[in-house]
Amino acid sequence: MAFLRMIKKRLLGLLLVVLGVSFITFAISHLIPGDPARLIAGDKASEEIVQNIREQLGLNQPLYIQYGTYLKGLATGDLGTSIRTTRPVLEDLKAFFPATLELSLVALLFASALGIPLGVISAVYKDKPIDQVVRTLAVTGISTPAFWLGLGVIVVFYGKLGLLPGGGRIDEGLTPPAAMTGFYLIDTLLQGDKAAFVSALKHILLPAFTLGFVHLGVVARQIRSAMLEQLQEDYIRTAKANGTSKWGVILHHALPNALIPSVTVIGLALGDLLYGAVLTETVFAWPGMGAYVVNSIQALDFPAVMGFAVVVSFAYVIVNLIVDMLYMLIDPRISEVS
Amino acid sequence: MTASHPVIRKMTTTFKLCAMASAIVSAGLISSQALAATPAGTLVIGKAADPQTLDPAITIDNNDWTVTYPAYQRLIRYKVVGGKGTTQVEGDLASGWTSSADGLTWEFKLKKGQKFDDGSAVTADAVKYSFERMLKAGQGPSEAFPSDMKVDVSSPDTVKFTLTKPYSPFLYTLANNGASIVNPAVVEKQGTAYLAKATAGSGPFRLVSWQKGQSLILEPNPYYAGTKPSLKQVVVKIIGDASSRRLQLENGDLDVAEDLPEDQLASISKKPGVTVAAFPSLRVTYLYLNNKKGPMSDVNMRRAISYATDYSGIIKGVLKGNAKQMRGAIPEGMWGFDPKAMQYSLNLAKAKQLIDGSTGKGATLNFVYSSKDPNWEPIAISTQATLGALGVKVKLENLANATMRERVGKGDYDIAIGNWSPDFADPYMFMNYWFDSEKEGLPGNRSYYNNPTVDKLVRQAASLTDQKERTKLYQQAQKIVINEAGYVYLFQKNYQVGLRANVKGFAFNPMLESVFNIDTMVKR
Repeated sequence: MAFLRMIKKRLLGLLLVVLGVSFITFAISHLIPGDPARLIAGDKASEEIVQNIREQLGLNQPLYIQYGTYLKGLATGDLGTSIRTTRPVLEDLKAFFPATLELSLVALLFASALGIPLGVISAVYKDKPIDQVVRTLAVTGISTPAFWLGLGVIVVFYGKLGLLPGGGRIDEGLTPPAAMTGFYLIDTLLQGDKAAFVSALKHILLPAFTLGFVHLGVVARQIRSAMLEQLQEDYIRTAKANGTSKWGVILHHALPNALIPSVTVIGLALGDLLYGAVLTETVFAWPGMGAYVVNSIQALDFPAVMGFAVVVSFAYVIVNLIVDMLYMLIDPRISEVS
Repeated sequence: MTASHPVIRKMTTTFKLCAMASAIVSAGLISSQALAATPAGTLVIGKAADPQTLDPAITIDNNDWTVTYPAYQRLIRYKVVGGKGTTQVEGDLASGWTSSADGLTWEFKLKKGQKFDDGSAVTADAVKYSFERMLKAGQGPSEAFPSDMKVDVSSPDTVKFTLTKPYSPFLYTLANNGASIVNPAVVEKQGTAYLAKATAGSGPFRLVSWQKGQSLILEPNPYYAGTKPSLKQVVVKIIGDASSRRLQLENGDLDVAEDLPEDQLASISKKPGVTVAAFPSLRVTYLYLNNKKGPMSDVNMRRAISYATDYSGIIKGVLKGNAKQMRGAIPEGMWGFDPKAMQYSLNLAKAKQLIDGSTGKGATLNFVYSSKDPNWEPIAISTQATLGALGVKVKLENLANATMRERVGKGDYDIAIGNWSPDFADPYMFMNYWFDSEKEGLPGNRSYYNNPTVDKLVRQAASLTDQKERTKLYQQAQKIVINEAGYVYLFQKNYQVGLRANVKGFAFNPMLESVFNIDTMVKR
């Protein structure tokens, strides 16, 4: 019951978040100086042509009517038409969002799969050389700019060694999989196209590593500090006194408890990854939302920018909802308190 | 002791499995085919940005024209002479044309056997439909054409244009991307929005797929009536980062790479198998001097700025020599260019003398620019330094590009900077746009220059059909505007592109930057 109540409450919150985000983005888009109609028409166009475009796009309407029209569309799942590409925003986002989400999820998988064991090892061997190495790696990860790291790995793995591709999602000669989930790794497997799967895997390795490296440091540090805290607790001493082995205590007692706060960090990291993929996508020519949004901002294409903000905030809230649900599964006390 | 514990044994086994799995994956990746050079018959072009829209009635962006220009034909095209693109024109869909003595009526006869990519014939009706569609859309491309122009079908293969007043650049505007002839049947069936994401023309190539943000694939139009292209496929790859484009060109994954970092071009050209081709372009960079108000309304102050500009220093230092100083408003390569026109050069003594005799002495000027072009800031700094030495303080304002345009549009600046490239091959694009007082503001006359004599000369030049007479009038007007320093005429920049050495036959056309003649280019 508590579970359902929380989901209901969160879904109501989601509605408010989407409304708030759409309003703030709309307000900011219209506060920025510049005229999207002029950008479309070109600098050389006469005022008559610019005015004609304003009318075509409804930009000559009062702002509250423009916003009302947008909300009306939003209620029916219509995110409007991009000023820049003249295509429906939803159609554009459908083309770009799965690529960003796939990259972010693989990056998160990489960050978690390496960050958790490294954090555990670092805590267990506190102040030992291995701890120093992990801590240095974590700080390096957090402080390395993604574009620099991206270029570095491209130069080494693509330019010098020729092991991995320098950009894109799949080899040019191969046909991209028919969009089922929009994730190439999954779609190619579902279609049984081994060559395309290997190609998609090769293409995602470097950008996912680059994007995930920052969060690898964050996760490792978080796990380390949570583990250190847990390892000081009385129940650990009791477990040890009961004769449980060192690693048994660490993996079966301390780690599950240390994971609870880490789930929040990992959940928030996905939000960061969705927003923060822009630079990585640019360096790796990854056809995600990054370049689309940057170009849209430069073109004052506010339906596209608002569409992006709404979709990402929607995803962010859903991820947080999942995190809270995981909390309840991991720690039944939370469910009881609720 | 510890090693024999079940948990540790389990962990050891897991690690072993992980190690094996990663070894298998690595082996698979390494042993897979090397990241090969592009296939024979396929030309891969690397560009910085995805096209925005492919509709020729809407796009004004050369970046989109890479795809649209070879997919459509127009009545007229630019001539290629001796392997080089020119600003002269010849028939493309048209086999010939006639115009009335007053230049108000133009009749074009279509070549026989021209077909769209669905096999249907290109008719005079399709020409009428395309022009009316473009004019009705009323977007950027329609700016080049008189809005009250009438298009009529005289016969199935003859189309007539009627203008209400003489407009001498008319013939040249027909080679513009906006004058592309679209297949009416496709537009009517699929809806007008269809052309934003697909092509429906009669050009040598047609778009077969577009993976948004990733790549576009063009293949020859099987019904194209002209010479069949030697390339079997053209892939346009979207690679946002310049360094990544460079690496892919050097590794052979790209055959052509646009927008390479200027400071790296010299080292790129030294790489084996890569050439960097440079072509004089008609894209110019110039300073707007606000003629309307403030210190710049004094002609002596404008002349002083023109003498206080370090042209050769900017060209050598900022552009690494890849540009040429302008000689007035009409750039070299455009007909009407005057090789004898007066050219300012850095002369601080003269500049000082002019400042002392002007109302701008001791003034503080603002210089507005944006980061849209990385060269603008160093040019602004150079101007600030030279004028500072003469006692004129220059305040640099680096603005968002949209804000800068708005400031220029309102005339709210003293000095500003911009680039300009012509939409059709006619000096009208420079002389009428830049100096006619009716075009004041962002659309053209950004210096707010106003001289009734010049107005008369450029308007007269735009109404005549005789090119010699027009050249005379434009050069006469140019003398005045150089003397009055309406703008600071800085430089025309070279267009540079990276090519693999086995790519031959690229004929750059200064009117068509970012457009590749893929119908005649070959890969050896």
